[in-house]
Amino acid sequence: MSAIAACRLMPVWNTEAFVQRALLLLGVLFLILGLLAPLSTMLLKSVQDHAGNFIGLANYAEYFTNPALFGSIINSLVIACWTTVIVVTCAFITAYALTRSGMAGKKGFRLISSLPLFAPSLLPALSMIYLFGNQGILKGWLPVDSIYGPVGIVMGLCFWIFPHALMILITAMSNSDARLYEAAKALKTPGWRVFLTITLPGVRYGLVNTIFVCFTLAITDFGVAKVIGGQYNVLATDIYKQVVGQQNFQMGAVVSVILLLPAILSFWIERRVQKRQTAQVSARAVAIQPESQPLQDNLLMLFCGGIAAFLLLVIGMAMYASLISFWPYNLTLSLDNYQFDMMDGGGWDSYFNSLRMAFWVAITGTAVIFLLAYLNEKVKALPLLRKTMQFLAMLPMAVPGMVLGLSYIFFFNSPDNPLNFMYGTLAILVLNTLVHFYTVCHLTASTSLKQIDGEFESVSASLKVPFYTTFRRVTLPLCLPAVLDISVYLFVNAMTTVSAVVFLYSADTTLASVAVINMDEAGDTAPAAAMAVLLMFTALGVKSFHWLISRELLARSQRWRHA
Amino acid sequence: MSAAPYLHIHQLEKRFGDFVALQNISLQVEEGEFVCFLGPSGCGKTTLLRIIAGLEQVQQGRISQAGKDITRLPPQQRDFGIVFQSYALFPNLTVSENIAYGLVNNKLSRQDRTVRVNDLLEQIDLPGIGDKFPGQLSGGQQQRVALARALAIQPGLLLLDEPLSALDARVRLHLRKEICELQRSLGITTIMVTHDQDEALTMADRIVVMDHGTIAQVGTPEEIYRHPATAFVARFIGSMNLLPGRVLEGHNLLIGDTELALPLMLSQNVEEGLLGFRPEMVRVLQGPEEVKADTLLLQGEVAQVNFMGAFVRLVVTIARNTDIEVDLPVQQYSQRQLKAGDHLQLAIDTESLHFYPQPPVDEPTRVSIRQSDPQPQHVFAEVMDSVMEAQA
Repeated sequence: MSAIAACRLMPVWNTEAFVQRALLLLGVLFLILGLLAPLSTMLLKSVQDHAGNFIGLANYAEYFTNPALFGSIINSLVIACWTTVIVVTCAFITAYALTRSGMAGKKGFRLISSLPLFAPSLLPALSMIYLFGNQGILKGWLPVDSIYGPVGIVMGLCFWIFPHALMILITAMSNSDARLYEAAKALKTPGWRVFLTITLPGVRYGLVNTIFVCFTLAITDFGVAKVIGGQYNVLATDIYKQVVGQQNFQMGAVVSVILLLPAILSFWIERRVQKRQTAQVSARAVAIQPESQPLQDNLLMLFCGGIAAFLLLVIGMAMYASLISFWPYNLTLSLDNYQFDMMDGGGWDSYFNSLRMAFWVAITGTAVIFLLAYLNEKVKALPLLRKTMQFLAMLPMAVPGMVLGLSYIFFFNSPDNPLNFMYGTLAILVLNTLVHFYTVCHLTASTSLKQIDGEFESVSASLKVPFYTTFRRVTLPLCLPAVLDISVYLFVNAMTTVSAVVFLYSADTTLASVAVINMDEAGDTAPAAAMAVLLMFTALGVKSFHWLISRELLARSQRWRHA
Repeated sequence: MSAAPYLHIHQLEKRFGDFVALQNISLQVEEGEFVCFLGPSGCGKTTLLRIIAGLEQVQQGRISQAGKDITRLPPQQRDFGIVFQSYALFPNLTVSENIAYGLVNNKLSRQDRTVRVNDLLEQIDLPGIGDKFPGQLSGGQQQRVALARALAIQPGLLLLDEPLSALDARVRLHLRKEICELQRSLGITTIMVTHDQDEALTMADRIVVMDHGTIAQVGTPEEIYRHPATAFVARFIGSMNLLPGRVLEGHNLLIGDTELALPLMLSQNVEEGLLGFRPEMVRVLQGPEEVKADTLLLQGEVAQVNFMGAFVRLVVTIARNTDIEVDLPVQQYSQRQLKAGDHLQLAIDTESLHFYPQPPVDEPTRVSIRQSDPQPQHVFAEVMDSVMEAQA
């Protein structure tokens, strides 16, 4: 019976279905090679000795009996908790001010608060050195002895993570229903009760999400701790020290696995929260029109002004320091620090390498990620494969850059690997960066694809039009805004990332962000700041340029939206 | 009826995991016929349509179209046009580009394509909107453009998935007529899915009523309305009084528990079931009058009077806990001026009576009046009899 059924279930040959399946399979293969295989290799390395023999959990035992290493876990947790508390509090108040108050200058605040997104995380750390370091201009304001340590790390991280938290919270607070507030008003509910019973529950998912995003970013960040951590070890710098300093790859793998745990945990919780968030606000919800309340507005403005001042101070200090001839003895302005060819770290070449890499990441990444998201969203066949793909697409969010970078060493540097030829080339940096930032792009693409009528593929099948024609003529044009967003997101992040690529560059492929670290390590703090500033302005420039051409492009291709 | 049916569906079965979406579906559609799949949401009607289109795969059964087995063919290799509930017009293409979408690979010259598109726009009564985007059109216009796009490739079969349900009532009525006219003039075999009984009754040549993944009844609108095959069909289409009853020895039909015995005979030996009749088939007697021998007589008290516009719906209590609905033309109502508490004599022809045995049996059960004496009955005597019997 089952044999007969199977026989009759044999589908007729269908080129389109074959192409779709083949592409889907290639996509999963790509994610396996770019993500799963390296990670597995790393897990394997953590239970091997130098010679590659299996030694069980001996490396872990060694790690946990070494207080110098073990202490980093506590340090990382302390840093992450403090950063999360400070950032979430500040971002919550700012988001409230920007969405619910009648405060003036909202646009300006939003613009300023997005600036850190374009800076490498090294920039605030360098800036802290000039502000609060041994020769810092505001050293006297610092309540602790030295900025080199937890205080510096937390301050630097706060600067860098703040816009991420703010974005999530602003989205959460914008999606509220004014009708609830009107109902509360009609029932004569006092303000504090409205806040506790409507505002807070309305954003609770966004808030939980923000907390975990902040925590993950803080615990996995490498750049800030590297520059300003001093003797204060955290997990991310431990990996670097084990691998680059002591060439102890096995212990690096162990630390990586440990760093992976909190990241995966918060990733898992975040996914669960996300699932429940669906349809919290109905389509009929009425948007809130904030009313002005002078006292509250002024207080909020004062607060936002303080935040903006801090952000501008950090950026401005880095810019200023990069233009000073010799801090703090010769304060004349010059461009000496921008003569990168005179310093360690690869000089101007590294900057152009960074540009080249960012360009390729943006081009190939956008194409690959969008295509795979499309297949995942619109192809009905092979449900198991698509589930696998969905999982693999979400996984990079949980993998810290340091861990991914180290995994790439293990996987691609192995002489047995046929992909070994990629090692030390620009290609491996592109692949690594692409995978590192995969998830956010995948989510952006999926969201925009989900908004497209699911029957378009059915209609074109009934009209005998192949799916790739519909993809080209309808799906892609409809998703163009998302595609452009993905490309610029990839470009900016590829320019500023440091954690994953710090293990993978070679003499020919030094990168600007790595050069910042190397110059800083060599004591050339000012040129390091100069390079960080340059990276930030490049990213900002690209973003503005992108904004201009997308406006032009969208005006032409999205005519139907406004028709 | 000489040729084989255009579309032949044989013993179809479709499961989603453990859930059986369709079971034992067999159906034949003639060329040029307009068939409606009618049923409540979740009955499997849309799934059946998507299977005919090749958008869903079946686990068992066969479908052939124009003599060709298409069961395993992907949609691209089948011959149909489809209109979805959401229209699924491409928002970034103009109306003309939308209609011409399927023509591109027909190797028509650009000029012929333009001519064809303009013809179609003419046909759907919307000439001159070719350069607009779908977003600029009203719902009804979008619907017609979607229809034109589906018809552009001259398919042998037109599939409509709830094409009118997203429109407001007035546009819907207008489009019903228009789709019917277009379908008749093109002579295209058409299958429409709908949950709206009025739509099905007015538009279809034949209706397929579906219930929980099976076909409950197939027939012309009139057949379905006048002789619903099951209690489900009766309830779903129009309104029907359904009174649970038990059959005692001597073929006495008891409605309720032992409240009301009716002098009815069933053609089959069943024990329990539902006695059904439509509210508009109940006559309110004006006073003492002669009735035909095969008429069921009832007596009751008006409980509610609901004005419905074209008619008045009375809720009449014929026994404890047993209410029936009776529809009265407005004209008759205004003569009588009925109000709650009035006593009424009611008459129903046995032709209008249906009996649905439970559990169901294959053969339809016919109902007739048990004639105790051959004399023509007199209303009051008979009514008194039945009331006496009920109270006994």
